[in-house]
Amino acid sequence: MKNRLKKVLCSLITVSLCSTLFLGGCGKQGKDSAAGKTADGENGKKEIVVATNSETGGLDPAGMIALTYLSYSVSALDELLTYNEKGEIDYRAAESYEVNDDSTVWTFHLRKEAVWSDGTPVTAADFINTMVRSLDPKSGNGYANYLFPVKNAEAIYNGEADAGTLGAKALDDYTLEIALDKPCVYFLDLLRLPVYTPSCVKYADAVDSGWDKDPKTSVANGPFYLAEYVPEQYFVLKKNEKYWNADKVKLDQITYRFFDDQQSMASAYETGEVDVAPALQSSVMDLYQGKDDLVITDTIATRYIYPNLNVKPLDDVRVRKAINLAIDREELCKMVGDDTEPTVNFIAKYMKDKQTGGYFVDEAEPPFKENLKEAKKLLADAGYPDGKGFPKLTYNYPSLEMDSDTAQVVQEQLKQNLNIDIELNAQELQVNYTERRAGNFDLCRMNWTADFADPYTYLSMLLSNSTYNCSGIHDEKYDALVEQSDTEKDPAKRAELMHEAEKLAVGEEFYIIPLYSMKSCNLIRPTIKGITQIPATGALEYRYAEITE
Amino acid sequence: MFGYTCKRVFIGILSLFVLVTAAFFLTRMMPGSPFQTGNVSESVLTSMEEEYGLNEPVFKQYATYLSNLMHGDLGISFKKPGVRVSEVITRAWPATAALGALAIVLAAVVGTLLGIWQASTKKRLVKGGIFFSTMLGTGIPNFVIALLLMLFFGVKLKLLPIAGLTGAENYILPVVSLAVYPAAVITRLMRNTFQEEMNRDYVVLAKAKGLSWRRTAVTHILKNAWIPVLNYIGPAAAFLMTGSFVVESVFTIPGLGREFVNSIENRDYTLILGLTIFMGVTVIGINLLTDLLCAWLDPRVRRAYR
Repeated sequence: MKNRLKKVLCSLITVSLCSTLFLGGCGKQGKDSAAGKTADGENGKKEIVVATNSETGGLDPAGMIALTYLSYSVSALDELLTYNEKGEIDYRAAESYEVNDDSTVWTFHLRKEAVWSDGTPVTAADFINTMVRSLDPKSGNGYANYLFPVKNAEAIYNGEADAGTLGAKALDDYTLEIALDKPCVYFLDLLRLPVYTPSCVKYADAVDSGWDKDPKTSVANGPFYLAEYVPEQYFVLKKNEKYWNADKVKLDQITYRFFDDQQSMASAYETGEVDVAPALQSSVMDLYQGKDDLVITDTIATRYIYPNLNVKPLDDVRVRKAINLAIDREELCKMVGDDTEPTVNFIAKYMKDKQTGGYFVDEAEPPFKENLKEAKKLLADAGYPDGKGFPKLTYNYPSLEMDSDTAQVVQEQLKQNLNIDIELNAQELQVNYTERRAGNFDLCRMNWTADFADPYTYLSMLLSNSTYNCSGIHDEKYDALVEQSDTEKDPAKRAELMHEAEKLAVGEEFYIIPLYSMKSCNLIRPTIKGITQIPATGALEYRYAEITE
Repeated sequence: MFGYTCKRVFIGILSLFVLVTAAFFLTRMMPGSPFQTGNVSESVLTSMEEEYGLNEPVFKQYATYLSNLMHGDLGISFKKPGVRVSEVITRAWPATAALGALAIVLAAVVGTLLGIWQASTKKRLVKGGIFFSTMLGTGIPNFVIALLLMLFFGVKLKLLPIAGLTGAENYILPVVSLAVYPAAVITRLMRNTFQEEMNRDYVVLAKAKGLSWRRTAVTHILKNAWIPVLNYIGPAAAFLMTGSFVVESVFTIPGLGREFVNSIENRDYTLILGLTIFMGVTVIGINLLTDLLCAWLDPRVRRAYR
């Protein structure tokens, strides 16, 4: 008995030791692959390694997508057309378009020379492929609602109509016609969204077949194609020699490495394991002050607070106005970090007006000005002189560093300036989202990054029927203004209507408490040039980057 | 011994069932939904929840999950399109297991040697030095050590890579950060038992017999002194093999711990449950194995089971 047991023990030990060695060996196999090489140009190849957030979602534009897709698509997929930094149209898969008089039928002429990375021509059917597959709720695509302007799209999504009735048709292989339910003047801005990006009919047949991460079937119509995908570690994009604009593409390879946190990204930049570390925490600004590595970019985002209109005394516009006027945003941003900039607008500070080339919000008077004296008077008028009798409100915010700092400063300022008490309630991000949607809050932090480059992405949120209107806003005047701007074809008049709508919501009714807009700190090797910014979201684009000596 | 083994296996399965049930209801009680992200609209959210059966009553979901589990099906990840939970586990486990196994081997070797040294040396400086190190080792959490190692060897000296698991050198820093705590504990355990055993009669006898110090230490003392260490190594190995959450995140290691943290953040229900079950099986299994081993090594323990 004893001997047998000893044998078992011996074999157990042997097995565990062997497996240790074997597993150790497994890890080594990956050594020769692309990850880890940097812009120094080993063996003369021009390649860069870019840090990206941990793997979330797939690479199929019609599937469940999140950050990983966004990193992939900016280099690998060509949308029909997009806008460049100057606000001009940058034709990509399409070479021209036409629109009928009432902006309801859009016809796109595709580039005849454009092919997928395996040589298959890019046709109108590839675009319709993504749209149809996205409209199946099974796809898990969170952008499907951006297809709803297209005729019958919403009915198809809800299972009330057949996919064949969709308003998008291929007139021939290279002509795509999209018919809308009603006029949509910002339709071209939507085209950069995943649901309007093509997926090759030859391979992209289902959302969960795994074609999107398999280099054999995951073809690209952009400057780079997927060459290797290692889950949770990295993916490699190689230059697509068949790309119609391949002459302009200077890099041979881009490797994206997944990181879980910003600190690791910054350290990996330090050790030379990555060449680009985007969207880092603001402390990086001090560390790299004055160095060429530090590149500050604007993000198209606004952080603000939703006061719940169903909670007393926030239903009183004087109280909302008092809180808005009493917050010193300049001071707040000083405390929170150099990557924030005070704003009293709802529409992101750095969103451009394509007609004028300037920032949209700069083209009108600010909706309101901070004014402590008036704030105190308003609070007194509302029945709370010097904050007396003001109930204790709770502020919900996600327990991220920046939001925690913000919450403390706001709490302190409101106590000092208006003598009102705010209770802080830090929540995990998901919990914060859920409570906000359910309307379970007094005050709730909100952040909105533009989905596309039009103020409508902001203004639509406060409409009475909007998903994101979780604070009980119901304003017919506002709804009418936004709807009117939605169909107004004269750009100048439309801008005026949108300014008016913002002024009404932010500067008269004070439905929100805007705080600041954000900048993004990126570390980029100074030898890498030609990285551009996507105007709609502020994200970095590497397709025409190059390495200089 | 057979009866005892049966009893222990039964208890193991029972605890696993309790674990699955608790984990299932806890995930459903968590506020939030797998499909909730910053910019998703309400209609899309509702249709997706329906698609994945999340609109059904919780008990019905539980029954479905259990019946699938009985067939060995852990389901499909909610957040990784088209990926089975079992695939995620088979992919992530080797990295975690390799790190855990290396760390425990390193800790056992270093801990044993340091423990013996500390117990048998007469130099006060060495004694004090080792004592101080074990204090530090048990006192500093492993992610702090990980960050310090990363800053010093990676960022400052630029000697070792700090992200991913692409080469042999990638293993060094995470393995060391994982090994520090168990090594310190083993050193302490080893020193205590070794010191106790040194004064036993059989050691005196061995000495009197004229056996060399090395032989006495290795063949006689170590055999007895190792029992408490073995008792500790079992659960410690289970713990390391199932993932050390923060260290994996710090060094961006594609292992179970990182998957687990991400799955909770993403509310990926099936993945959370799958990983919980896998870790539960591992921990319960290794504990069972250690208990049986101890029973075999130490007759007194065995007698107690009769």
